[in-house]
Amino acid sequence: MNKVITINLGGNAYQLEEGGYDALRSYLDAAGRRLEGNPDRDEIIADIERAIADKVRGVLGANKTVVLAREVAAIIAEMGPVEDTADADTAAGTPESTPAAAPGTAGAKIPPRRLYKIREGAMVSGVCNGLAAYFRVDVTLVRLVFAFVTFFYGTGLLVYIILAIVIPSAETTEEKAAAQGTPAATAQEFIRRARAGYYEGMRTFGDRKAHREWRRRFKDEMRDWSRDFRQEMHQHANRWWQQGGPTWTPRSGAWFALPFLSLFLGLIAILGLWVGYTLITSGTVIGLPLPASMPVWVAILFLIVVIQAIRWPFKAMRRSYYCGGYGPPCCGPLGFLWHLCVWAAVIWFIYWLTQGGHSATLHDLAQHLPGKLHHALSSLKQWWEQL
Amino acid sequence: MSVNEKFSSLRKGLLEFLVLKVIAGDKVYAADILQELSGTEFATQEGTLYPLLSKLRREELVDYEWKESEAGPPRKYYRLTAKGREQLQETLDYWQKINATLKNLGLKSRP
Repeated sequence: MNKVITINLGGNAYQLEEGGYDALRSYLDAAGRRLEGNPDRDEIIADIERAIADKVRGVLGANKTVVLAREVAAIIAEMGPVEDTADADTAAGTPESTPAAAPGTAGAKIPPRRLYKIREGAMVSGVCNGLAAYFRVDVTLVRLVFAFVTFFYGTGLLVYIILAIVIPSAETTEEKAAAQGTPAATAQEFIRRARAGYYEGMRTFGDRKAHREWRRRFKDEMRDWSRDFRQEMHQHANRWWQQGGPTWTPRSGAWFALPFLSLFLGLIAILGLWVGYTLITSGTVIGLPLPASMPVWVAILFLIVVIQAIRWPFKAMRRSYYCGGYGPPCCGPLGFLWHLCVWAAVIWFIYWLTQGGHSATLHDLAQHLPGKLHHALSSLKQWWEQL
Repeated sequence: MSVNEKFSSLRKGLLEFLVLKVIAGDKVYAADILQELSGTEFATQEGTLYPLLSKLRREELVDYEWKESEAGPPRKYYRLTAKGREQLQETLDYWQKINATLKNLGLKSRP
Protein backbone atom coordinates (compact mmCIF):
# COMPACT_ATOMS: atom_id res chain seq x y z
CA MET A 1 0.00 0.00 0.00
CA ASN A 2 1.47 3.31 -1.05
CA LYS A 3 0.40 6.88 -0.57
CA VAL A 4 -1.00 8.54 -3.68
CA ILE A 5 -0.45 12.13 -4.73
CA THR A 6 -2.71 13.91 -7.18
CA ILE A 7 -0.99 16.18 -9.65
CA ASN A 8 -2.01 18.50 -12.44
CA LEU A 9 -0.37 17.90 -15.81
CA GLY A 10 -1.48 20.10 -18.66
CA GLY A 11 -4.82 20.82 -17.00
CA ASN A 12 -5.76 17.25 -16.08
CA ALA A 13 -5.49 15.52 -12.72
CA TYR A 14 -3.47 12.35 -12.37
CA GLN A 15 -2.78 10.21 -9.36
CA LEU A 16 0.78 9.08 -8.82
CA GLU A 17 2.35 6.92 -6.17
CA GLU A 18 4.40 8.99 -3.79
CA GLY A 19 7.76 7.66 -5.02
CA GLY A 20 6.68 8.38 -8.59
CA TYR A 21 5.66 11.88 -7.68
CA ASP A 22 9.05 12.60 -6.12
CA ALA A 23 10.82 11.21 -9.16
CA LEU A 24 8.74 13.32 -11.52
CA ARG A 25 9.22 16.43 -9.39
CA SER A 26 12.95 15.87 -9.44
CA TYR A 27 12.92 15.32 -13.21
CA LEU A 28 10.98 18.52 -13.87
CA ASP A 29 13.13 20.51 -11.43
CA ALA A 30 16.25 19.26 -13.20
CA ALA A 31 14.70 20.20 -16.56
CA GLY A 32 13.94 23.68 -15.27
CA ARG A 33 17.53 24.07 -14.10
CA ARG A 34 18.91 22.80 -17.38
CA LEU A 35 16.83 25.34 -19.29
CA GLU A 36 17.91 28.21 -17.06
CA GLY A 37 18.28 31.27 -19.27
CA ASN A 38 16.26 29.85 -22.13
CA PRO A 39 13.60 32.42 -23.09
CA ASP A 40 11.10 29.62 -23.80
CA ARG A 41 11.77 27.77 -20.59
CA ASP A 42 8.22 27.84 -19.23
CA GLU A 43 6.80 26.83 -22.57
CA ILE A 44 9.18 23.90 -22.95
CA ILE A 45 8.38 22.73 -19.44
CA ALA A 46 4.67 22.96 -20.25
CA ASP A 47 5.26 20.96 -23.45
CA ILE A 48 7.11 18.33 -21.50
CA GLU A 49 4.37 18.15 -18.88
CA ARG A 50 1.81 17.64 -21.63
CA ALA A 51 3.95 14.91 -23.19
CA ILE A 52 4.22 13.20 -19.81
CA ALA A 53 0.44 13.49 -19.43
CA ASP A 54 0.05 11.77 -22.81
CA LYS A 55 2.26 8.92 -21.68
CA VAL A 56 0.61 8.69 -18.29
CA ARG A 57 -2.76 8.29 -19.96
CA GLY A 58 -1.27 5.38 -21.86
CA VAL A 59 -0.71 3.38 -18.68
CA LEU A 60 -4.08 4.17 -17.15
CA GLY A 61 -7.30 2.35 -17.89
CA ALA A 62 -10.86 2.01 -16.70
CA ASN A 63 -9.78 -0.17 -13.78
CA LYS A 64 -6.40 1.40 -13.20
CA THR A 65 -6.46 4.96 -11.93
CA VAL A 66 -3.09 5.24 -10.21
CA VAL A 67 0.31 5.49 -11.88
CA LEU A 68 2.87 3.29 -10.16
CA ALA A 69 6.31 4.58 -9.22
CA ARG A 70 8.01 2.20 -11.64
CA GLU A 71 5.73 3.35 -14.45
CA VAL A 72 6.73 6.93 -13.74
CA ALA A 73 10.37 5.89 -13.85
CA ALA A 74 9.79 4.21 -17.22
CA ILE A 75 8.07 7.33 -18.57
CA ILE A 76 10.93 9.54 -17.39
CA ALA A 77 13.41 7.19 -19.05
CA GLU A 78 11.40 7.41 -22.25
CA MET A 79 11.37 11.20 -22.11
CA GLY A 80 15.13 11.35 -21.80
CA PRO A 81 17.08 14.09 -20.08
CA VAL A 82 16.08 17.59 -21.09
CA GLU A 83 18.84 19.27 -23.05
CA ASP A 84 18.99 22.84 -24.10
CA THR A 85 19.77 22.87 -27.82
CA ALA A 86 20.91 26.46 -27.58
CA ASP A 87 23.79 24.99 -25.65
CA ALA A 88 26.06 23.64 -28.38
CA ASP A 89 28.40 21.81 -26.04
CA THR A 90 25.93 19.49 -24.40
CA ALA A 91 26.24 15.81 -25.08
CA ALA A 92 24.93 14.39 -28.31
CA GLY A 93 21.19 14.06 -28.39
CA THR A 94 20.56 10.54 -29.61
CA PRO A 95 20.02 7.99 -26.91
CA GLU A 96 22.38 5.35 -28.31
CA SER A 97 25.23 7.83 -28.39
CA THR A 98 24.89 8.74 -24.74
CA PRO A 99 25.12 5.53 -22.81
CA ALA A 100 25.78 7.59 -19.70
CA ALA A 101 22.27 8.99 -19.86
CA ALA A 102 20.80 5.86 -18.39
CA PRO A 103 17.07 5.89 -17.71
CA GLY A 104 16.06 8.31 -15.03
CA THR A 105 19.42 9.90 -14.37
CA ALA A 106 18.15 13.34 -15.28
CA GLY A 107 19.51 15.78 -12.75
CA ALA A 108 22.10 13.35 -11.41
CA LYS A 109 24.76 16.02 -11.30
CA ILE A 110 25.92 16.71 -7.79
CA PRO A 111 24.71 20.05 -6.49
CA PRO A 112 26.94 22.15 -4.23
CA ARG A 113 26.47 21.24 -0.61
CA ARG A 114 24.46 23.78 1.31
CA LEU A 115 23.58 24.31 4.93
CA TYR A 116 19.97 23.46 5.65
CA LYS A 117 17.98 22.25 8.59
CA ILE A 118 17.12 18.61 8.04
CA ARG A 119 13.92 17.69 9.80
CA GLU A 120 14.03 13.98 9.05
CA GLY A 121 15.43 12.36 12.16
CA ALA A 122 15.79 15.70 13.90
CA MET A 123 15.55 16.03 17.66
CA VAL A 124 14.49 19.64 17.88
CA SER A 125 14.55 21.53 14.63
CA GLY A 126 17.18 19.74 12.57
CA VAL A 127 20.04 22.22 13.03
CA CYS A 128 22.46 19.57 14.31
CA ASN A 129 21.32 17.21 11.59
CA GLY A 130 22.00 19.83 8.93
CA LEU A 131 25.39 20.75 10.38
CA ALA A 132 26.35 17.09 10.57
CA ALA A 133 25.44 16.56 6.94
CA TYR A 134 27.26 19.71 5.94
CA PHE A 135 30.50 18.87 7.71
CA ARG A 136 30.13 15.14 7.12
CA VAL A 137 30.36 14.20 10.78
CA ASP A 138 28.19 12.12 13.04
CA VAL A 139 25.12 13.94 14.20
CA THR A 140 25.60 12.72 17.78
CA LEU A 141 28.97 14.45 17.84
CA VAL A 142 27.40 17.75 16.80
CA ARG A 143 24.70 17.39 19.44
CA LEU A 144 27.35 16.66 22.08
CA VAL A 145 29.28 19.76 21.08
CA PHE A 146 26.15 21.87 21.42
CA ALA A 147 25.29 20.31 24.78
CA PHE A 148 28.87 20.85 25.97
CA VAL A 149 29.02 24.46 24.87
CA THR A 150 25.69 25.02 26.61
CA PHE A 151 27.52 24.57 29.93
CA PHE A 152 29.36 27.81 29.26
CA TYR A 153 26.69 30.33 30.15
CA GLY A 154 24.22 28.59 27.85
CA THR A 155 26.10 29.71 24.77
CA GLY A 156 25.29 26.47 22.96
CA LEU A 157 21.58 26.94 23.47
CA LEU A 158 21.79 30.53 22.31
CA VAL A 159 23.80 29.65 19.22
CA TYR A 160 21.36 26.83 18.54
CA ILE A 161 18.39 29.17 18.71
CA ILE A 162 20.06 31.67 16.40
CA LEU A 163 20.99 28.94 13.93
CA ALA A 164 17.48 27.51 14.09
CA ILE A 165 16.12 30.90 13.11
CA VAL A 166 18.74 31.76 10.50
CA ILE A 167 19.21 28.49 8.60
CA PRO A 168 16.42 27.64 6.18
CA SER A 169 15.05 24.15 6.33
CA ALA A 170 15.31 21.77 3.42
CA GLU A 171 11.79 21.46 2.06
CA THR A 172 12.04 20.37 -1.56
CA THR A 173 13.76 17.27 -2.84
CA GLU A 174 16.39 19.51 -4.42
CA GLU A 175 17.12 21.27 -1.16
CA LYS A 176 17.24 17.97 0.68
CA ALA A 177 19.73 16.68 -1.84
CA ALA A 178 21.77 19.87 -1.51
CA ALA A 179 21.71 19.56 2.27
CA GLN A 180 23.11 16.04 2.08
CA GLY A 181 25.47 16.86 -0.77
CA THR A 182 24.16 13.84 -2.64
CA PRO A 183 23.06 13.83 -6.26
CA ALA A 184 19.53 15.11 -6.61
CA ALA A 185 17.47 12.04 -6.01
CA THR A 186 16.72 10.27 -9.23
CA ALA A 187 13.79 8.07 -10.09
CA GLN A 188 15.76 4.95 -9.29
CA GLU A 189 17.07 6.38 -6.08
CA PHE A 190 13.56 7.20 -4.96
CA ILE A 191 12.27 3.80 -5.86
CA ARG A 192 15.18 2.22 -4.06
CA ARG A 193 14.50 4.30 -0.98
CA ALA A 194 10.79 3.63 -1.16
CA ARG A 195 11.51 -0.09 -1.28
CA ALA A 196 13.94 0.20 1.58
CA GLY A 197 11.17 1.65 3.71
CA TYR A 198 12.68 5.08 3.65
CA TYR A 199 9.26 6.67 3.72
CA GLU A 200 7.91 4.32 6.38
CA GLY A 201 8.16 7.03 9.01
CA MET A 202 6.12 9.47 6.98
CA ARG A 203 3.45 6.93 6.17
CA THR A 204 2.95 5.92 9.77
CA PHE A 205 2.75 9.43 11.05
CA GLY A 206 -0.99 9.20 11.57
CA ASP A 207 -0.75 5.97 13.46
CA ARG A 208 -0.78 5.74 17.19
CA LYS A 209 2.39 3.81 17.79
CA ALA A 210 4.52 6.18 15.77
CA HIS A 211 2.94 9.08 17.55
CA ARG A 212 3.72 7.57 20.95
CA GLU A 213 7.29 6.99 19.88
CA TRP A 214 7.54 10.61 18.83
CA ARG A 215 6.14 11.77 22.17
CA ARG A 216 8.57 9.59 24.04
CA ARG A 217 11.44 11.19 22.17
CA PHE A 218 10.12 14.62 22.91
CA LYS A 219 9.92 13.82 26.65
CA ASP A 220 13.47 12.48 26.60
CA GLU A 221 14.61 15.68 25.03
CA MET A 222 12.85 17.76 27.62
CA ARG A 223 14.38 15.67 30.39
CA ASP A 224 17.85 16.11 28.95
CA TRP A 225 17.27 19.78 28.62
CA SER A 226 16.16 20.27 32.21
CA ARG A 227 19.09 18.17 33.44
CA ASP A 228 21.49 20.37 31.55
CA PHE A 229 19.82 23.39 33.02
CA ARG A 230 20.06 22.08 36.59
CA GLN A 231 23.70 21.15 36.18
CA GLU A 232 24.46 24.59 34.95
CA MET A 233 22.70 26.12 37.94
CA HIS A 234 24.78 23.95 40.29
CA GLN A 235 27.96 25.01 38.57
CA HIS A 236 27.06 28.64 38.92
CA ALA A 237 26.23 28.20 42.56
CA ASN A 238 29.50 26.32 43.21
CA ARG A 239 31.55 28.96 41.51
CA TRP A 240 29.87 31.65 43.50
CA TRP A 241 30.64 29.97 46.80
CA GLN A 242 34.18 29.13 45.76
CA GLN A 243 34.74 32.78 45.16
CA GLY A 244 33.89 33.25 48.76
CA GLY A 245 30.27 34.06 48.38
CA PRO A 246 29.17 37.62 48.57
CA THR A 247 32.32 39.67 48.82
CA TRP A 248 30.77 43.04 49.15
CA THR A 249 30.91 45.47 51.94
CA PRO A 250 27.35 46.53 52.53
CA ARG A 251 26.63 50.18 52.46
CA SER A 252 24.70 51.80 55.17
CA GLY A 253 21.01 51.12 54.73
CA ALA A 254 21.68 48.12 52.49
CA TRP A 255 19.90 45.71 54.82
CA PHE A 256 16.83 47.79 54.57
CA ALA A 257 16.90 48.61 50.87
CA LEU A 258 18.07 45.32 49.41
CA PRO A 259 15.04 43.15 50.17
CA PHE A 260 12.80 45.89 48.90
CA LEU A 261 14.69 46.28 45.66
CA SER A 262 14.81 42.53 45.10
CA LEU A 263 11.10 42.21 45.80
CA PHE A 264 10.37 45.05 43.42
CA LEU A 265 12.56 43.57 40.68
CA GLY A 266 10.89 40.20 41.14
CA LEU A 267 7.47 41.80 40.90
CA ILE A 268 8.41 43.54 37.65
CA ALA A 269 9.71 40.25 36.31
CA ILE A 270 6.47 38.46 37.21
CA LEU A 271 4.46 41.29 35.71
CA GLY A 272 6.53 40.98 32.51
CA LEU A 273 5.94 37.24 32.40
CA TRP A 274 2.23 37.72 32.93
CA VAL A 275 1.98 40.36 30.20
CA GLY A 276 3.99 38.07 27.92
CA TYR A 277 1.60 35.23 28.70
CA THR A 278 -1.51 37.26 27.90
CA LEU A 279 0.23 38.55 24.77
CA ILE A 280 0.81 35.04 23.51
CA THR A 281 -2.52 33.55 24.51
CA SER A 282 -4.93 36.36 23.73
CA GLY A 283 -2.88 38.84 21.72
CA THR A 284 -3.65 41.70 24.11
CA VAL A 285 -1.49 43.77 26.45
CA ILE A 286 -3.36 44.12 29.77
CA GLY A 287 -6.65 44.17 27.90
CA LEU A 288 -5.43 46.42 25.08
CA PRO A 289 -5.34 44.69 21.70
CA LEU A 290 -2.15 44.84 19.67
CA PRO A 291 -2.01 47.05 16.58
CA ALA A 292 -3.10 44.80 13.73
CA SER A 293 0.12 45.25 11.80
CA MET A 294 2.38 44.18 14.69
CA PRO A 295 3.31 40.50 14.79
CA VAL A 296 3.36 38.84 18.19
CA TRP A 297 7.10 38.27 18.21
CA VAL A 298 7.81 41.96 17.67
CA ALA A 299 5.51 42.77 20.56
CA ILE A 300 7.34 40.25 22.73
CA LEU A 301 10.72 41.69 21.82
CA PHE A 302 9.37 45.14 22.56
CA LEU A 303 8.02 43.93 25.88
CA ILE A 304 11.39 42.46 26.83
CA VAL A 305 13.14 45.72 26.09
CA VAL A 306 10.59 47.72 28.06
CA ILE A 307 10.73 45.38 31.06
CA GLN A 308 14.52 45.36 31.02
CA ALA A 309 14.57 49.14 30.73
CA ILE A 310 12.31 49.44 33.78
CA ARG A 311 14.39 46.94 35.73
CA TRP A 312 17.70 48.47 34.71
CA PRO A 313 17.89 51.44 37.15
CA PHE A 314 16.72 49.28 40.06
CA LYS A 315 19.27 46.66 39.23
CA ALA A 316 21.96 49.30 39.04
CA MET A 317 20.87 50.56 42.43
CA ARG A 318 20.94 47.10 43.92
CA ARG A 319 24.34 46.51 42.45
CA SER A 320 25.65 49.71 43.89
CA TYR A 321 24.49 48.46 47.26
CA TYR A 322 26.12 45.08 46.73
CA CYS A 323 29.41 46.23 45.33
CA GLY A 324 29.70 49.62 46.73
CA GLY A 325 30.22 51.00 43.26
CA TYR A 326 29.84 50.03 39.68
CA GLY A 327 30.64 46.50 40.04
CA PRO A 328 31.89 43.31 38.49
CA PRO A 329 32.09 42.97 34.73
CA CYS A 330 29.31 40.42 34.69
CA CYS A 331 26.87 43.14 35.52
CA GLY A 332 27.99 45.62 32.83
CA PRO A 333 26.17 46.50 29.63
CA LEU A 334 27.05 43.02 28.30
CA GLY A 335 25.13 41.64 31.25
CA PHE A 336 22.12 43.58 30.05
CA LEU A 337 22.49 42.09 26.59
CA TRP A 338 22.90 38.68 28.08
CA HIS A 339 19.74 39.06 30.10
CA LEU A 340 17.94 40.19 27.01
CA CYS A 341 19.03 37.04 25.22
CA VAL A 342 18.03 34.79 28.08
CA TRP A 343 14.65 36.44 28.30
CA ALA A 344 14.18 36.18 24.55
CA ALA A 345 15.11 32.51 24.69
CA VAL A 346 12.75 31.80 27.56
CA ILE A 347 9.84 33.63 25.98
CA TRP A 348 10.56 32.12 22.60
CA PHE A 349 10.52 28.73 24.26
CA ILE A 350 7.18 29.40 25.95
CA TYR A 351 5.81 30.71 22.65
CA TRP A 352 7.10 27.63 20.85
CA LEU A 353 5.49 25.37 23.42
CA THR A 354 2.12 27.06 23.26
CA GLN A 355 1.99 27.69 19.52
CA GLY A 356 3.80 24.67 18.18
CA GLY A 357 2.65 21.10 17.83
CA HIS A 358 2.74 20.53 21.57
CA SER A 359 0.07 23.07 22.27
CA ALA A 360 -2.77 20.59 22.66
CA THR A 361 -1.53 18.70 25.72
CA LEU A 362 0.10 21.74 27.29
CA HIS A 363 -2.91 23.91 26.75
CA ASP A 364 -5.16 21.28 28.29
CA LEU A 365 -2.85 21.08 31.26
CA ALA A 366 -2.93 24.84 31.74
CA GLN A 367 -6.72 24.84 31.44
CA HIS A 368 -7.30 22.03 33.85
CA LEU A 369 -4.54 22.75 36.32
CA PRO A 370 -6.60 24.91 38.70
CA GLY A 371 -9.37 22.31 38.70
CA LYS A 372 -6.94 19.49 39.29
CA LEU A 373 -5.20 21.39 42.08
CA HIS A 374 -8.53 22.02 43.72
CA HIS A 375 -9.40 18.38 43.40
CA ALA A 376 -6.09 17.32 44.91
CA LEU A 377 -6.49 19.75 47.82
CA SER A 378 -10.01 18.60 48.60
CA SER A 379 -8.96 14.97 48.54
CA LEU A 380 -6.07 15.84 50.85
CA LYS A 381 -8.53 17.56 53.18
CA GLN A 382 -10.78 14.53 53.13
CA TRP A 383 -7.86 12.30 53.99
CA TRP A 384 -6.87 14.61 56.83
CA GLU A 385 -10.36 14.60 58.25
CA GLN A 386 -10.50 10.83 58.11
CA LEU A 387 -7.45 10.53 60.31
CA MET B 1 35.42 4.36 -31.65
CA SER B 2 32.52 3.02 -33.66
CA VAL B 3 31.06 4.86 -36.59
CA ASN B 4 27.99 5.40 -34.54
CA GLU B 5 29.91 7.24 -31.82
CA LYS B 6 32.07 9.11 -34.26
CA PHE B 7 29.11 10.71 -35.92
CA SER B 8 27.09 11.50 -32.84
CA SER B 9 27.84 15.20 -33.03
CA LEU B 10 27.12 15.19 -36.75
CA ARG B 11 23.77 13.57 -36.10
CA LYS B 12 23.06 16.08 -33.44
CA GLY B 13 23.75 18.93 -35.82
CA LEU B 14 21.60 17.32 -38.46
CA LEU B 15 18.66 16.73 -36.14
CA GLU B 16 17.33 20.23 -36.66
CA PHE B 17 17.34 19.74 -40.43
CA LEU B 18 15.61 16.37 -40.12
CA VAL B 19 12.94 17.74 -37.86
CA LEU B 20 12.26 20.46 -40.42
CA LYS B 21 12.01 17.78 -43.09
CA VAL B 22 9.52 15.74 -41.05
CA ILE B 23 7.39 18.78 -40.37
CA ALA B 24 7.46 19.75 -44.06
CA GLY B 25 5.44 16.64 -44.96
CA ASP B 26 2.31 17.38 -43.01
CA LYS B 27 1.10 19.08 -39.87
CA VAL B 28 2.54 16.95 -37.12
CA TYR B 29 2.68 16.91 -33.36
CA ALA B 30 5.72 16.03 -31.31
CA ALA B 31 4.90 12.35 -30.84
CA ASP B 32 4.54 11.98 -34.65
CA ILE B 33 8.01 13.42 -35.14
CA LEU B 34 9.49 11.06 -32.57
CA GLN B 35 7.60 8.18 -34.13
CA GLU B 36 8.96 8.95 -37.56
CA LEU B 37 12.52 9.34 -36.33
CA SER B 38 12.38 6.34 -34.02
CA GLY B 39 13.25 3.76 -36.67
CA THR B 40 16.23 5.77 -37.95
CA GLU B 41 19.71 6.57 -36.71
CA PHE B 42 18.25 9.87 -35.55
CA ALA B 43 15.94 8.43 -32.91
CA THR B 44 15.53 10.98 -30.14
CA GLN B 45 13.48 11.74 -27.07
CA GLU B 46 11.09 14.42 -25.86
CA GLY B 47 13.76 15.85 -23.61
CA THR B 48 15.76 16.82 -26.68
CA LEU B 49 12.94 17.46 -29.11
CA TYR B 50 10.93 20.03 -27.17
CA PRO B 51 13.79 22.45 -26.59
CA LEU B 52 14.71 22.07 -30.28
CA LEU B 53 11.15 22.78 -31.43
CA SER B 54 10.98 25.85 -29.27
CA LYS B 55 14.27 27.06 -30.73
CA LEU B 56 12.97 26.54 -34.27
CA ARG B 57 9.85 28.47 -33.38
CA ARG B 58 11.93 31.29 -31.95
CA GLU B 59 13.84 31.44 -35.22
CA GLU B 60 10.47 31.55 -36.99
CA LEU B 61 11.15 28.42 -39.00
CA VAL B 62 8.13 26.59 -37.62
CA ASP B 63 4.79 27.59 -36.27
CA TYR B 64 2.17 25.68 -34.36
CA GLU B 65 -1.53 25.63 -33.73
CA TRP B 66 -3.48 24.09 -30.90
CA LYS B 67 -5.77 21.17 -31.66
CA GLU B 68 -8.06 19.36 -29.26
CA SER B 69 -7.19 15.72 -28.81
CA GLU B 70 -9.72 12.95 -28.20
CA ALA B 71 -8.54 12.55 -24.65
CA GLY B 72 -6.37 14.72 -22.48
CA PRO B 73 -4.88 18.15 -23.07
CA PRO B 74 -4.87 19.85 -26.49
CA ARG B 75 -1.85 19.24 -28.67
CA LYS B 76 0.46 21.53 -30.57
CA TYR B 77 0.53 20.76 -34.27
CA TYR B 78 3.61 22.11 -35.99
CA ARG B 79 3.99 23.27 -39.60
CA LEU B 80 6.72 25.06 -41.50
CA THR B 81 6.67 28.78 -42.09
CA ALA B 82 7.70 30.28 -45.42
CA LYS B 83 11.07 31.02 -43.89
CA GLY B 84 11.34 27.43 -42.66
CA ARG B 85 10.47 26.08 -46.07
CA GLU B 86 13.13 28.30 -47.62
CA GLN B 87 15.73 27.17 -45.13
CA LEU B 88 14.81 23.54 -45.64
CA GLN B 89 15.20 23.92 -49.39
CA GLU B 90 18.58 25.61 -48.93
CA THR B 91 19.74 22.84 -46.62
CA LEU B 92 18.47 20.17 -49.02
CA ASP B 93 20.34 21.76 -51.91
CA TYR B 94 23.47 22.02 -49.81
CA TRP B 95 23.07 18.39 -48.76
CA GLN B 96 22.80 17.36 -52.42
CA LYS B 97 26.01 19.24 -53.09
CA ILE B 98 27.78 17.46 -50.26
CA ASN B 99 26.47 14.17 -51.56
CA ALA B 100 27.71 14.91 -55.06
CA THR B 101 31.10 15.93 -53.72
CA LEU B 102 31.26 12.73 -51.70
CA LYS B 103 30.43 10.67 -54.75
CA ASN B 104 32.84 12.40 -57.09
CA LEU B 105 35.88 12.76 -54.85
CA GLY B 106 38.68 10.48 -55.83
CA LEU B 107 36.96 9.35 -59.00
CA LYS B 108 38.47 11.89 -61.33
CA SER B 109 41.21 10.37 -63.38
CA ARG B 110 44.39 12.15 -62.46
CA PRO B 111 46.65 13.27 -65.27
